[in-house]
Amino acid sequence: MGEAPLLEVDGIRKAFGGVLAVDGASFTVEAGTVTALIGPNGAGKSTAVGIIGGALAADEGRVGFRGDEITGLAPHRIARRGLIRTFQISREYPAMTVLENLMVSPMNQEGEKLATALLAHRRYRKQERELVLKALDVLADFGLYGMRDEYARNLSGGQKRLLELARSVMADPVMLILDEPMAGINPALVSHIGEHILRLREAGVSFLMVEHNLEVVERICDHVIVLAVGRTLARGTMAELRQNEAVVNAYLTGGGVDAGTAR
Amino acid sequence: MSLFLLTLGFGVVTAAVLSLASVGLSLQFGVTNYVNFAYGSYLAVGMFATYTASQSLHLPFVMAALLGVLSSGMVAVAVDLLVLERFVKRGTSGFFLLIVTFGLALILLNLEQAIWGVGFDRYPVALGNPVRLGPFSVTPAQLDVVGVAIVALSAVHLLLTRTRLGKAMRAMSDNPTLALASGIDTRATTMWTWFITGCLAGLGGVTLALNTVEFQVFTGNTFLFVIFAAVILGGIGKIYGAMLGALIIGLAINLSTLVISSAYAIDVAFAVLVLVLLVRPQGLFTVAGKA
Amino acid sequence: MGIIVGYIATLGIYFCIYNILSIGLNIQFGYAGILDFTVITFMAIGGYMAGVASLGPEQPGSQIFYILGLSLPWPVALLIGATAAGLLGCAIGLIALRRLRSDYLAIVTLAAGSIIYGLVGNNSKIFDGFEGLVGVPQPFNGVLGLNPNSYALLFLGFAAVVMAVLWVAANRLRNSPLGRAMRATREDLEVAEAYGKNTYKLRMMAMVIGSVYVGVGGVLTIWYVTAMAPAGWGTSETFVVWAALIVGGVGSNGGAVIGSFLVAVLFNEVTRFLPGISSDPSLIPEVRNICIGALVILTLRFRPQGVMPERKARFPELPEASVRQEPAIVAEEV
Repeated sequence: MGEAPLLEVDGIRKAFGGVLAVDGASFTVEAGTVTALIGPNGAGKSTAVGIIGGALAADEGRVGFRGDEITGLAPHRIARRGLIRTFQISREYPAMTVLENLMVSPMNQEGEKLATALLAHRRYRKQERELVLKALDVLADFGLYGMRDEYARNLSGGQKRLLELARSVMADPVMLILDEPMAGINPALVSHIGEHILRLREAGVSFLMVEHNLEVVERICDHVIVLAVGRTLARGTMAELRQNEAVVNAYLTGGGVDAGTAR
Repeated sequence: MSLFLLTLGFGVVTAAVLSLASVGLSLQFGVTNYVNFAYGSYLAVGMFATYTASQSLHLPFVMAALLGVLSSGMVAVAVDLLVLERFVKRGTSGFFLLIVTFGLALILLNLEQAIWGVGFDRYPVALGNPVRLGPFSVTPAQLDVVGVAIVALSAVHLLLTRTRLGKAMRAMSDNPTLALASGIDTRATTMWTWFITGCLAGLGGVTLALNTVEFQVFTGNTFLFVIFAAVILGGIGKIYGAMLGALIIGLAINLSTLVISSAYAIDVAFAVLVLVLLVRPQGLFTVAGKA
Repeated sequence: MGIIVGYIATLGIYFCIYNILSIGLNIQFGYAGILDFTVITFMAIGGYMAGVASLGPEQPGSQIFYILGLSLPWPVALLIGATAAGLLGCAIGLIALRRLRSDYLAIVTLAAGSIIYGLVGNNSKIFDGFEGLVGVPQPFNGVLGLNPNSYALLFLGFAAVVMAVLWVAANRLRNSPLGRAMRATREDLEVAEAYGKNTYKLRMMAMVIGSVYVGVGGVLTIWYVTAMAPAGWGTSETFVVWAALIVGGVGSNGGAVIGSFLVAVLFNEVTRFLPGISSDPSLIPEVRNICIGALVILTLRFRPQGVMPERKARFPELPEASVRQEPAIVAEEV
């Protein structure tokens, strides 16, 4: 690949009360790939995701997206550039319907302007109709069509994960950062979500996903980045990493490989 | 210069009163993880139960004050058991819990108004003539206030560091899920927290009354904003931060009287609060705020 | 007969005013999740500013002091009152809305309200201190020369028109993508931000629009009562508006209407006639406040969605023939 990478993370550093959560991690994500971010608990994965998405301010380092520096931008500005991140615990808008959850996502809706909303609701009606149709298609793709009028809080854990992906698709992302998209769901649904991710990759969306399940990583990820104690330890394909002694050690000495409370 | 030092002395007394109430509020927030807007009314309970006990029951003042402090602790526990615990158990979101405590503030304040009226009262004790201590000039009652604060805060410190209850409280404050998982009886800990912080509020109320000499049922509620300023300045939920916040706010309020009217004490506290929220909302003494 | 007409018209006017106040609070809290614990202050500022805009200059001998005194016509006074309330909302928003924690906002609003109360009360030169403004000119009254009852009916019509306009606007806002985005910030601020919503701007909009609504309610109040003093806008009055919204149903404008009727009109009027508890009529305000506080807590405990819960969003544009097949896999929880 001769082009510049889609996402460049360069030497980010972040300390919480003297404890370094991320200590100079650097990595890149190429366009059109599904890249995994793995590492033992406390490796700084979620902190790194928070910094990339703008929710946390890095003490040092820079983040570049599509060739532009996005370090320190407000989260909504980063999202508007096509970089959408999800959260470790799925966080739907509980008291809004499933369809409404999707309808929030599209950027630049005409009806989000105050004057249009109050005085000229006809102006946004056409766009609204198109978005509803699109949202229904997306819901059908994710098997949530029948739940469209249900409050999002009434969905099962697995359905909430699907909703999270569906509403991210509605934002027309260039790249999605998923923080443990398969935590706490059954194996059938894990492979189902994996298929969705691969399908979206074919449609041109790039992915960076924090994941603990190495089988899943092996099956759907093109590249893997290993973080340990806040630094980039290695990168490559899963097969390459299995041969890498440092990676094996980090996982063995870094405690259990589970979805802990490493936030 | 002597006026400055004199005012500084009053500032220390205010800080002592404020630190009692602020540590209580901050400790309660740390353990329960929501702000209690009815806290100002707990101050009034301590203030007025003491008043009734010494004025009507003719108890010696120390006994009366003890009774007052215990009764505000009991009120705090009762309110938790009757109202707040039921909402927390149902997982009511933070928004609505705040509205509930706001409603409780209204109910308690009006109950207090109905019981004690809205007029100004004073304790039937001699506050003593001001004595000079170096450059300072304070009444013996004010000296007692400072002494009580030092003793009470030391007790809180020992409680938190040396006892099982204190360790449980700190664990719940740091990570409630983990605390529950590690076998801490969170319900009992929460109840004790309400009792202790309620007592601290009562003590804050009694010392506030001694310091201002005249008081009415609104005095506690008005003081609540000063408490909030101190607590947020120190980092909400941080006990030692609250002590430092109280010291800074207490001094700021009194020193401001050198340049502007003392009627604006609360406005000064509010100005500090706004400044903190704009510049460093997580508080001065915290490194990473509680999420 | 005339007294009953006047009484009912007055109740109707209070109903309209409380309706406007609770819809304003609904825009702030129900739409955008902003805990405004000083709603009534916006009402007061709106009323005072409209009052001093429509009053004539201070009379030297009258012992009533206030700023401005511009003798402006009522539409301009209305505009000034609404703008002042909006600006105050903006100022409080600037301090508190940038921060993520909702309890900080609640503290700042409550503290700001208390400060403003003290400032207005203690400074007799702004709005005549605790004495308050009196003799504020009423719109149309001088021109038409009606008797009080006819004027009350006319004012009821006027207040109803204002209420209807604001009601339509609030519903349009609610049903628009903008309202949807506001509700998303209410549900989860951080997530809405991660999906490209400028949550600060959205919440500021809700804060200011809500303040303007409440300010207009204040303008109507001072016009009808022709007076305003701090005693009429203490913290307990804020709680009446909250009670109306919560009993009616947070997030639903229909609920705000029902709540205003149940709490502000029915409940207030019934408790007004409470036989004095232990034959002490001076305790009526206390009893009333305790009841309102208990009403809110009991509602939140036993029917948190209110009498008329927030409706699910509907999308009337749904094409009728959009029957889609369901993929086979249905997600199940572990």
